[in-house]
Amino acid sequence: MIEVISGGLYTSIQDLGRFGYRRLGVPLSGAMDSYSARLANRLVGNSINDAVLEITHIGPVLYFTHKTEISITGAGFCPTLNNLEVPLNSRVFIPEGSTLKFGLPGYGLRAYLSVHGGFNNEKKLNSYSQYLGITTKETLEKGDKLLIKEYNAQPSKLTASVKVPKEHFTSENIQVYQGPEFHLFSEVIQKKLLEIPLVVGADSNRMAYMIDGMSKFSANEIITAPVQPGTVQLMPSGQCVVLMRDAHTTGGYARILQLSESAINVLAQKRAGEKIKFRFIDAEKE
Amino acid sequence: MNKHLTFVQFGEHGLLISWPSKIDPSINEEVLKMDAIVTATFSEEIIETVPAYHSLAVYLKSTVVVTEFIAKLKKTPSTSVKIELGRTFIVTIPVCYDIEFAPDMEEVASIQDITVDEVIKIHTEPFYKVYFLGFLPGFPYLGGLSEKLSTPRKKTARKLVEKGSVAIGGNQTGIYTMDSPGGWNIIGRSPLLFFSTSIGVNSLLNPGDFVKFTPVSLEEFNDIKGEIELGNYEVKKEVRND
Repeated sequence: MIEVISGGLYTSIQDLGRFGYRRLGVPLSGAMDSYSARLANRLVGNSINDAVLEITHIGPVLYFTHKTEISITGAGFCPTLNNLEVPLNSRVFIPEGSTLKFGLPGYGLRAYLSVHGGFNNEKKLNSYSQYLGITTKETLEKGDKLLIKEYNAQPSKLTASVKVPKEHFTSENIQVYQGPEFHLFSEVIQKKLLEIPLVVGADSNRMAYMIDGMSKFSANEIITAPVQPGTVQLMPSGQCVVLMRDAHTTGGYARILQLSESAINVLAQKRAGEKIKFRFIDAEKE
Repeated sequence: MNKHLTFVQFGEHGLLISWPSKIDPSINEEVLKMDAIVTATFSEEIIETVPAYHSLAVYLKSTVVVTEFIAKLKKTPSTSVKIELGRTFIVTIPVCYDIEFAPDMEEVASIQDITVDEVIKIHTEPFYKVYFLGFLPGFPYLGGLSEKLSTPRKKTARKLVEKGSVAIGGNQTGIYTMDSPGGWNIIGRSPLLFFSTSIGVNSLLNPGDFVKFTPVSLEEFNDIKGEIELGNYEVKKEVRND
């Protein structure tokens, strides 16, 4: 078991999402940067579907009552175990009675912590992902107890550490497809939409990222229609929004572009103020 | 398949089927019918579908090639499958319009230049059609609000609208099925439970259903709430015959 000494800014339990209930209006949820979450699970020999902790900007302080193995991926935190630095993107042995601290990340925004066996807290509608209203809690709080699944098998001969491409955190390019309303723009505007430099706005969260820089453009509202994580909406005011993992299932703003799955992961590591550009996925790559 | 439909890829593993762009009960019936066909015919290839007013999103498993799926879908004659549309209901929803639950009632009445009683009378008259669910788990997009009650959304959204709140936003009316921030004008509250995950998943309202609001007093509201807590309350639901 793990005791939460402090919850950090916004730490939540996430897996790869709550599939199969979107027709009821239940958001998908799941790890914002699924690439890093999968990696964390692989490093400790878990299934990629196991639940991990998503740690945002200010990390939690965790106390391990039992020995186990963990790995931490994603943003460049400098975590310490009993005040000794622990490496990222590696399998790390945790002795009984250890305290893990995170502090602040040097790059990126979200880290993922996997534990051998996977977390075993409240599971609702086939998913551990915390989403208020579906699960009883939205984030970890001081005093919470994290349960871990029984898992007797030792991790097999896994790679003890991996190297993550730097571009995952530094790339300004956000790969997109055309969205359902893209064709409503003239060719001139279509071209411009993909040329303008953009900046991640404040107030970005698990539901949506605000994107600044499109105020010269605007689009009329649409009849409410399906949206998904990665849908880029343009509002009549010129505000641009990229929907993220906790997005509603339907929305009433023009869906001008749609991020690729890997682009959602890249954007999930961006902080307010960071630059981005939308780029079409090359036809050859598809 | 129907030639006024368009099929476009929607992201890496999705597609969107769209009908002419309007809110229309018969178009929505077609959406729900297509939803049933797609779900029944391609259950191996799809993860889930999301219907809305005039469009249907189909989210595919990552192993399925979207363009090939679209080609296959276009070739599927709509008569090839016998579709069983799920049963739909007329659901009676008790609403307490007491001022305690209706912080915006007086404003709505004054904007419309009618009395509070008239607002209640007009709001409880129609059978509202549930087009689809979205915004919140179990939240019904309802069609059929009288133009006499069409009221612009509030300038600033409330941080918390309580679960069960019945509200008007523009030319729509709806029920907040969960506590949520919200910008609609709140004119009442229903004691019913609209979405629950305690035993499986249960949404009181589903696409194709009709809703009839019926006014209850504060006392009746509390009685119903008590009965629900004891598990003794039965929601009034009639099977729709059409």
